[in-house]
Amino acid sequence: MTINKVLKRFRLLFVLLLLMVVLSFLSPYFLTQQNLSNVLWSVCVIAIMCCGAIYAPITGGIDLSVGAVAALSGIIANYMMNVLGLPLWLSLVITLAAGLLIGLLNGVVTAKFRVPAFIVTMAAMTWLYGIAMVISQGSMITILQPAGFLVIGGGKLLGFPVPIYIMVVCVILSHLLLRYLTYGRRALAVGANDVTAKLSGIDPDRTRIGAYMLSSFTAALAGIVLASLSQQAYAGAAKGIELAVITALVVGGTSLAGGSGSVLGALVGALIVGFIENGLNLLNIPASYHPIVTGVVILLALILNTGVERPKWLHMPARSTKEPAKAGVPS
Amino acid sequence: MSDDRKDPDILLECRHITKSYSGHVVLRDVDFSMKRAEVHALVGENGAGKSTMIKIITGVTPRNSGEIVFDGHEIPIDHSKQAALDLGIAVIYQELSLIPGLTVAQNIYLGKEPLRAGLRLINHRKMNADAQTLIDQYGFPLKATSPIETLSIAHRQLVELLKALSTNAKLIIMDEPTSCLTSTESSQLFEIIHQLRANGVSVLYISHRMEEVYALSDRVTVLRDGKLVAVLDKEQITPAEIIRLMIGRALEVDETKRRMVKKQGEAVLEVKDLTSVGRFYDISFKLVKGEILGIAGLVGAGRTEIVRAIYGIDPYDSGAVLFDGKAYKPSVNKAIASGFGFVPEDRRQQGILGIISMTRNIGLTNLDQVSKASWVRDGKEMALCHLGIDLLKIKPNDPDINVGNLSGGNQQKVVVGKWLVRNLKVLIIDEPTAGIDIGAKEELYATIEHLAEEGVSVICVSSDLPELTRLANRILVLREGRIIKEFSEGSVTEEEVLRASSGILEGGNHDNQ
Repeated sequence: MTINKVLKRFRLLFVLLLLMVVLSFLSPYFLTQQNLSNVLWSVCVIAIMCCGAIYAPITGGIDLSVGAVAALSGIIANYMMNVLGLPLWLSLVITLAAGLLIGLLNGVVTAKFRVPAFIVTMAAMTWLYGIAMVISQGSMITILQPAGFLVIGGGKLLGFPVPIYIMVVCVILSHLLLRYLTYGRRALAVGANDVTAKLSGIDPDRTRIGAYMLSSFTAALAGIVLASLSQQAYAGAAKGIELAVITALVVGGTSLAGGSGSVLGALVGALIVGFIENGLNLLNIPASYHPIVTGVVILLALILNTGVERPKWLHMPARSTKEPAKAGVPS
Repeated sequence: MSDDRKDPDILLECRHITKSYSGHVVLRDVDFSMKRAEVHALVGENGAGKSTMIKIITGVTPRNSGEIVFDGHEIPIDHSKQAALDLGIAVIYQELSLIPGLTVAQNIYLGKEPLRAGLRLINHRKMNADAQTLIDQYGFPLKATSPIETLSIAHRQLVELLKALSTNAKLIIMDEPTSCLTSTESSQLFEIIHQLRANGVSVLYISHRMEEVYALSDRVTVLRDGKLVAVLDKEQITPAEIIRLMIGRALEVDETKRRMVKKQGEAVLEVKDLTSVGRFYDISFKLVKGEILGIAGLVGAGRTEIVRAIYGIDPYDSGAVLFDGKAYKPSVNKAIASGFGFVPEDRRQQGILGIISMTRNIGLTNLDQVSKASWVRDGKEMALCHLGIDLLKIKPNDPDINVGNLSGGNQQKVVVGKWLVRNLKVLIIDEPTAGIDIGAKEELYATIEHLAEEGVSVICVSSDLPELTRLANRILVLREGRIIKEFSEGSVTEEEVLRASSGILEGGNHDNQ
């Protein structure tokens, strides 16, 4: 029984380990330091995004605009630093503030105007792309200075890439926020049942707006890391990354129906997604096949997760609430 | 195999039904039979196995062993819901399963719409005509073309019933049909049940309301802990006997409690001329410390709307609320901070966070108590949950269990419990015992009475008249959004309250009361 519990609790970690073992057999190159640090570098961007993006599904919504926010924030940062010539710190503050503002917009439209988050953030994805095109004048910008900016994504500290530190700090903060701060409780409650939450004195609208602000904030942060890491910024920089983020969240056990989620799970989810992508590359599978695998992984994760946390849409209209057909719950 | 199968009077025969869920036996060797054109009540406390029995009969869950014969057909262990429907077994569930956006006719014929020849498009005209014929046959006050969302709960239930009847059901199973109905609507339903029986349909009736079982049933089967306890014939049925069999002991009903005693003292809450146009008008009352104020009235009379306005969920147009003698502008946050508690009428939709643990459910309402500078202390939250479990004897006493997995009674205890662990001054409780079994009901009554003794004032909205006369010091009766009667001293009978709520003139003596 306890072994079962351990298996269940850490099943994601086991999946990750299994994946690594399999990949190390399939490719001799897999376990090299070079490869692993490449994977970590790419996982960092997704994992940082997950730290904020997780609050959208937790409150019962979704944020599809994180990729567009990330791309735009690279362009904004470059514009501030290299066109307006602002100091690095100010450029970063402005970029992150822009992220918060976008989140505020998404949140207000979703919460106050009752437009489904799916639509709102899909629209945001489009108009943000447009703004990015306008500012970047449709070109791919190469960022070669300031040197301080390039350290954010490409530097190393004590032998580890700087983005890993950023990721670790984000994961810890987001985990604490979700697990130990009242905001986390409120977000989970709103996602589980917003009427109940409201009757308990929680403002669902504010909680939701906060979720989208967090989501866009970490997306902007990830965008800075990405721009610094790749030394370039362009409107299509993070295209499709929102899907990787959602995959990581879902694989990590976050329910798209709201009310449950785990930041640490999302981190492991991001690692799994990163290693799968890496494995496909190592095995020389053509890039056009990768989306198929990503899609299948999302579906599998959704199906597997329903066994543990059944999302609302899978609930049959609960027929007999009086006598739950569950062992071990005699009333 | 058996001779009973040839008995033309027997519609349904279940023998030696056993069912367990992962090692936990919920039904043990249960025999159960129903005659044709019979109203048969299946009673038992929560967890006695009633719902499982129904699920087995209707093909929702397979049984482990035992045999079932329906209308001369042997029912295989793995028969499906559809197979049960085709045989003529229909169920009307507690939670209705109609599609709100569709019309009455579309719902009745959902999945079996009459089609035009040729292109096989839906023949709406025929569907509406058929539906209307069916409606008129039973004389229901419905129109085939009205959308479901415009109907009251009671009328929706009639549509569910028609849906079953349209399949030529021989057996209609009703799971707690009156839990959302007012007394008048219930008695209408009883007439319909009698009519069904007259038409040769058998009704398997599940209810926690003993008066109904007593008034309606030809026979009663009592289950306890998954075992068959007794099958009673009409002349053996008395509410007291059924209760004794259900819980295995006689329940003491304290007759003195039925006499209302007016509480004196300082007003904790005062409501003056509260009006919300279209919902309620000129509502005025004072709530005294330690008083249990009952609010009666038909569904739609404005009961829930008033308490929601006082708690600060919905705004009102005019009037005033005074709390502790001071002007008070209701808002949910202020209410909670001032010591209000609110138990909403719809437990599942408004009271619980089903997919979240009991600890978190209780913690959520008490975030101010369990957190310091926004930081939640797990230990404090857990302690609060254990306090709630102890105060209300919530079962199972597992703080980590998701509340959605608890039985209805225990879910309600969690909803009440999350307020009890606070420093409460006013508890507003809407339909405290809807869908809860007798044992849990009594425990909740005891809790409410205990709270009042400790000085908490309680506003109790209920459709269950025995509940109000049992609990309340004073009863306000609402009709069409206005207080039309107040019962405050001496004894009051359910009939008096009922008459008042349905407009004194038309108030007849309902045989179920």
